This record gives sequence, structure tokens and C-alpha cells, in this order.
Amino acid sequence: MVERSGWLLDLYADPRGGLALWFLDENGERQRLRQDFPVTFYAAGPAARLRAAWRWLQGRPGVSLARQERRDLFQPGLLPVLAVQVAQPAAQPALFRQVSQAFPDLTYYDADLPLALRHAALHGTFPLARGRLAWDESGTVQALSVLDSPWDLDPEPAPLRILSLEPEVDPFHAAPTQLLVRDLRTSYRLALEPARPLLVNLRAILQRHDPDLLLTTWGDTWLLPRLLALSQEWRIPLPLSRDVERGVAYRKERSYFTYGQIIYRGRQVHLFGRWHVDGHNAMLFHDYGMEGALEMARVTALPLQTAARVSPGSGISAMQIITALRQGVLVPWHKQQAERPKTALELMRFDQGGLVYQPTTGLHFDVGEVDFISMYPSIMRHFNISPETVGSQRPTAELAPRLEETVSGGPPGLVPETLAPLLDKRLALKLRLAELPAWHPQRLRYKARASAHKWLLVTCFGYLGYKNARFGRIEAHEAVTAYGREALLRAKEAAEDLGFEVLHLYVDGMWVKKAGASRVADFQPVLDEIVRRTGLPVALEGVYRWLAFLPSRQDGRVPVANRYFGAYQDGTLKVRGVEARRRDTPHFLVRLQEEMLERLAQAQGAGAASTAAALQECLPGLVARLRRVLAALRAGRIPLAELVVAHKLSRDLTEFRTPSPAARAAGQLQAAGKVLKPGQRVLFIYTRGEPGVHAWDLPQPPNPASVDVARYAELTLRAAAAILQPLRVEEATLRQWLFSNAGYLAPPGKPAPPATALPLWVGKHVLRDRHLFPVAGLRQISWLPAP
Amino acid sequence: MGRTLPSITQAFLGEQESFARFRRALRRSDQLALDDLFATAHKHLAAAAHAAHALPFEIFLLAMLLEEHKEVLRLRQRLEGALARSDG
Repeated sequence: MVERSGWLLDLYADPRGGLALWFLDENGERQRLRQDFPVTFYAAGPAARLRAAWRWLQGRPGVSLARQERRDLFQPGLLPVLAVQVAQPAAQPALFRQVSQAFPDLTYYDADLPLALRHAALHGTFPLARGRLAWDESGTVQALSVLDSPWDLDPEPAPLRILSLEPEVDPFHAAPTQLLVRDLRTSYRLALEPARPLLVNLRAILQRHDPDLLLTTWGDTWLLPRLLALSQEWRIPLPLSRDVERGVAYRKERSYFTYGQIIYRGRQVHLFGRWHVDGHNAMLFHDYGMEGALEMARVTALPLQTAARVSPGSGISAMQIITALRQGVLVPWHKQQAERPKTALELMRFDQGGLVYQPTTGLHFDVGEVDFISMYPSIMRHFNISPETVGSQRPTAELAPRLEETVSGGPPGLVPETLAPLLDKRLALKLRLAELPAWHPQRLRYKARASAHKWLLVTCFGYLGYKNARFGRIEAHEAVTAYGREALLRAKEAAEDLGFEVLHLYVDGMWVKKAGASRVADFQPVLDEIVRRTGLPVALEGVYRWLAFLPSRQDGRVPVANRYFGAYQDGTLKVRGVEARRRDTPHFLVRLQEEMLERLAQAQGAGAASTAAALQECLPGLVARLRRVLAALRAGRIPLAELVVAHKLSRDLTEFRTPSPAARAAGQLQAAGKVLKPGQRVLFIYTRGEPGVHAWDLPQPPNPASVDVARYAELTLRAAAAILQPLRVEEATLRQWLFSNAGYLAPPGKPAPPATALPLWVGKHVLRDRHLFPVAGLRQISWLPAP
Repeated sequence: MGRTLPSITQAFLGEQESFARFRRALRRSDQLALDDLFATAHKHLAAAAHAAHALPFEIFLLAMLLEEHKEVLRLRQRLEGALARSDG
């Protein structure tokens, strides 16, 4: 018998029996162990049919049957079920498929659960859990205890060996010739051709380094499938998996539609005994990186290879499944529950989202942003909202608008129970982050983890309302938004009662200002009052030195909810809804907007009036910068790569009636043999004449002379105008300054003021957006007629 | 002393009450403006009763419009007077 401490790496069904369990022990050895792990699924239905199923299953090897009573979350009372225990986890999927085909009328539970989740529910395990294991001579685990929890803030880091593999160029843009192989200390450059030495060398590297994690770029969609094909062709085995017998597993590519967006997920290559993560195909990897993916795996208990690639929705679903397994609640295979019938008035009142205001457009100074911390999950926890606690007994209409009455005295529901430790961990992490100085190396780690938590918490709300979610119920979803709207209205009233002006409300955030309030402490009474009236946690996100809410691009009189930017007092920027934030904007425009914003963020004055003046003083410099960019564009001095536009393909090419630029570019690629799926991004450059675009990933590069300079100039102007708008420079004015070569302060001749934005003068004020502004701030723009 | 119809004051208060949810979601400054509108309509309750209209809220809206227009006329007069003085 051997007993050691270490970290749990990987587990999966072993075709030879039980579970294969990979363990990194205290001596740095990677152990492949096995563990007996029978799994159970359940069937419910009419007694006669259950008896028939019993007879059908009886006597099969490794199957034991029992009658039990268990709890279905969506039904009152206990449910009589047939419990089917399968000794070999590897045999369960096939057996379940046969049963469900033979008895399609039965309701099945716990039928398709990932093994890692079953293991987590029983033993408290999760990827990289610290554990103490004892095993016998045959490598069979006799005892397993987990020494830490996924909720620890600073787990002892496992000494993981990481090897990264990447081709030197994007294989979907050009043909790579080299493979870069790196670990912490060494790096190799292998030629992709000829194949034989490549395979031999790579095999040697894999054997010598024996990495725990292969971190690739385009590994799912290009590199690993290609290497495996070569390995077969040349009959040189490539030990990508540590468990050579299991080889690799593929998951198919797919496109799906969610939250008004089409998403593309490439093919996946999963390994055994070793992880493979493709930074290009991993969900949200660009947002939180490896640290976030590891955190996702820890808190959801999903295997790292899965956790790095699944949507946060599947992550939250995994966490709920574990809670259900631990509470002995049945996890439905296909959910049957439908929405309760409602009256039209009920629907009108409750089928709503969060409360979103139209902000007061324009430039504001000394604005405080107050946010509810993880508002919707906090509401679920605070008011115990879960599919089994809400909606069935009482209509949503009764409970939502009165915050005080409804804190249910009952035991916490499945959803609040799942969320509570995650909320606590996120809050603890935020507090820790607030204490750390800006230079501290731990900050980035904590931030990546906090980001993973954020995504999980954001989606757990959506999953309450998603009809296919195993523990979703639309009434619970409606109750959450109803509480959310009520809480935000109470926050508004609290601020207004304290004399603040409410500029904007956005689901869980509020922007307020008051003459004389500019320090953090000045906003504290608002926070206290909100907590008193709602019972929910709030925080001051920060105080803006200045903040601009932009109107709609289509109509300057119409405010839009999520298009704003501003500088906090420490000079950091917050930017939403302008081109720089969009992923389809060409790089040179992102940089131009960022530079302009950075310049404005530096503008500083004591008090609102002098900050306003400081912002106006930036104007000549910004316009000069803009002129230089336009000159560089006309002279062809901006590199083509900076001009690339990246649009998502919204549907299949055959479905376009009038092809968009993206569709035309995708058509060019298709003609060249590269097929794109909906949800994938098409990179292209606008060119003059027909067809108006040149796909970036075509074999032949675009001709620099064919660039549609006028179109890019127009985009530049628009991007700049969005930033200059709060300084009272309209797009038409800017056009006149730039394209008529007029001077900025004193235009030659007398260009007519743009008809679209003729200001209306009232005494010493100008009327805009139904508000009167003093003229003082405008004086520098001399084309305006003096009052 | 039964009435077959609610009094005009009751109807007015009822209409005002039915906008409570709308009013609550407005900014405080807009709430005060809305209250002003209802206050101006209140001045014409007697006329509204006399109109005996099937949809009293239409009468209340017209009463609000009436008071608004009176205010516009008054302001225009003042503005023209002020401009005449500054020119002369």
C-alpha cells in the first residue's frame, strides 16, 4: 500500500474497468491509478412500465436494480423511481442508450452526467484539487481524501509542466512552415516539412518533457488534426495523450445562436492523462487566459479541457448538477416542465428585463457610479429564488414588488445554495484586490479569476429562464428581474431624496451627481441608504472627473443607454459602445480613438468649470492628430494589416439576398477553397470599385493602390466625431474643418453652420436636448453666431 | 345617497393613480413636471364635469394642453417685450 499527497489531474472512464485517475504526487511523479466507481441513473413512469424495464434489465452483467423514492425538483412530494446501478462507468452510456430506446416513454434522470461531476459530488474533487490518496500494488485507489476546496483564495499551485505548440503564422491566412515549441526554459523551432523528422523530433520532445498541459494556438482546428494525420500516414506514433491506449477524442464543430449573436465553435481535440487547450478555440480565453480557465475548472469541477472550452452557462449548469447530486435531487435528462399559463396583464408586467434609462446626454462632471455587486445572483441568494421556491405556489405577481415580505424562511433553494460560495469568493477576491497595490504581481491572477466568476454569475441568471436548462423556470427568471427593477428604483429614490441628480440607470448601475459632491466620501450616504432600502450589496465603482453620454448615431436627439465614456479621478478610462470597443473595427481606428480618449483623460482642473476648459483645450491637438491620420491614410502610409475589418458572418452564404461586404469577402474565400461557417469572423479590406472588398485570407495579398481611401476616411471621421461630440463638435462641423481645409479657430470665408445642428439661442444660454447650457463653454468655437 | 357615476374628482384621482408606476420610474425633476401637469388639469375640473365626456382623461389632457398654451403665449409676450427694449 502506498499513500501520498498531491494534486488530482484528470479522470475519465477506463475501458478496462472503473475510473482512470491521474495524480501528480508530492515527488513530482505522474501516477495513473484506477478507482472503482459504480454510477446510477434513474427511470420514472407508470408502475407497469417500470416493472417491464426491470425485467428487461434484470440479469445483465454489472447491473443492479432497486426501487427507490427520490425528489424531482419540479414535482411536489417524492417520486417512485427505478434505480439502475452500473458497475462500470464506461458501460453506462451504451446501456442507457439501449434502455431509452426500448422504453422511450419513461422519464430518465441522472442519465448523461459527466463523470467528473459525479466524482465531485461524492468525493469533493475538482481539477487540481489537493488530495491524499492511498493505493494498492495494482494501482487501485483504496482511500481518497480532498485537502482543500475550490473556494480557497490562494490554493497551493501545482507544479504543472506546460508545453506550448504554435505555428508561426495563422494557418487560415497563410501556409505555416514552422512549429514553435516552448516550455519555461527551452524553445524549439521545427520545420513542418518534411514530415518524418518533424514527427520524430516532436515525439522525442513530448517524451522528454512529458507535459501536463499542451497549450496550442489553432490546435483544435488545425495543428493537432494535422499532426495526427501525418502520424498515421508515416506510421510514427505520436504520444499526444499520456494514456496512449485511449488516444485522442474529437468533438465536432458547430454554430449556434445565442443572445442575438451567432457563435462559432471549432472542432475540439481532447487528450487523456494530459490536457489540451487551444487558446484560439477556448471560450472567453481572450478575456481571462489560462488562470481564468483553471479557475473555471476548479469552481465548476469540469475537467480543464472541457471547462476551458464550454460556455459559462454550461459551467453554472455543472455547479447546479453537483448541488443536486449532493442534495439527492434528481437531474432531469430532458426537462418536461412548461410555463404556467398567465394572463396578458401578468405577462405585460413581468415579462420584462432590467430597468434601463435614457441617460441625460452630454458632458457631466464629478459623477459617481454606484453599482449593485453581482445584482442578479445576489437577488437570487437574498430572496431565495430557485425553480422550486418561486412561481409554483404563488404567482410571481404577488411576490415581486415588495422586497420586505418575501425573504422566504425556508431552506435555501438549489440555485441560491449553488451560488452562495461563488458570490462569497468573488466578494473576498474583490476585497483582496482593493487592498493590493497596483504593481502587485498577484493582481493579474486575481483579476483573471474574478473575471471567470463574473461570467459564471452573469449567465446563471440567463439559465434560470432558459427553457432547456435543467434547473430553469421562467417564473424564477421573471422574479429576479422584477426584484432588480424594484431595487434600482429604490436606489434612484434614495439618491434623489439625498439631493442627487440621477443621470442614468442601467440594470444594476446608477450614475449620479450633486453640486459639491466630488469625493468618494460624498457619495457614501447614498450607498448606505441604498443598502438600507434594498438589503443588497452596493459599491461605488468610482467618481468620474468627467463623463459623456453619447446620443444615437442615427438621431442626435435620442439618447442611447450604452454609449458613453469618461475618466475616473485617477485618470483611468471607462469606454462603452464606441468603435474602439468593437471587435470589428480596424486597428488604426481603435488606436486613434484610444489616443484621443487618453488625451482627454489627462485633462484635469480644479472643479467642473476648469475641467471643462481643460477638455476644450485638448481640441486643437486632437484635430491635428486626426489630420495626420487622414494624411497618412491618403498617402498609403497605414499598413494594410491595420485597415483590416473583421465582421462576423451572420448566416450561411447561400442565405444572403444582397450580400453584405462580409458575405462578399467570404464568397471570395469560398472560391479559393476556404469555407467559413456562420459565426466565424471574415477579415477583409475595403477596396475601390467592384466587389468593394478583398478578403484578407486570400492567397494573393491585396493591392495597396486599390484601398478604398474615401471609405476609410469616412470611417475615421465618424470614429473621431464620436469622441469629439461631447466637446460640442458635430460630425458636420468636423467634416467642414477637415475637408474644406478650413482653420480650426477662424475658418476662411464664412462656412454656413451645419443645418443639422443649428443651436437655438435663448438669452445667454443655448438650448440642446431640452436643457439650457451656459454659452461660456462654447465661446472658443467661433463660427457660432455670438449671442 | 348613491351615485351611478364616480364624481369628476374621483375620476381625476383615479386617472392620476393609474399613472403611479409611470411616475415612479421618472427622474425626480420629471416627476415634479408631471405633477405640475396634473395640477393644471385640476383647475378645470368643473368644466370637465360639465363636458360629461365618456373618456374623462381626454378632457384632462386637453386641459393640460390649454394651460401649456396659455404659458407659451405669456412667455412669447414677455420675450418680445424684452427684445423690443434691448433693441430700442
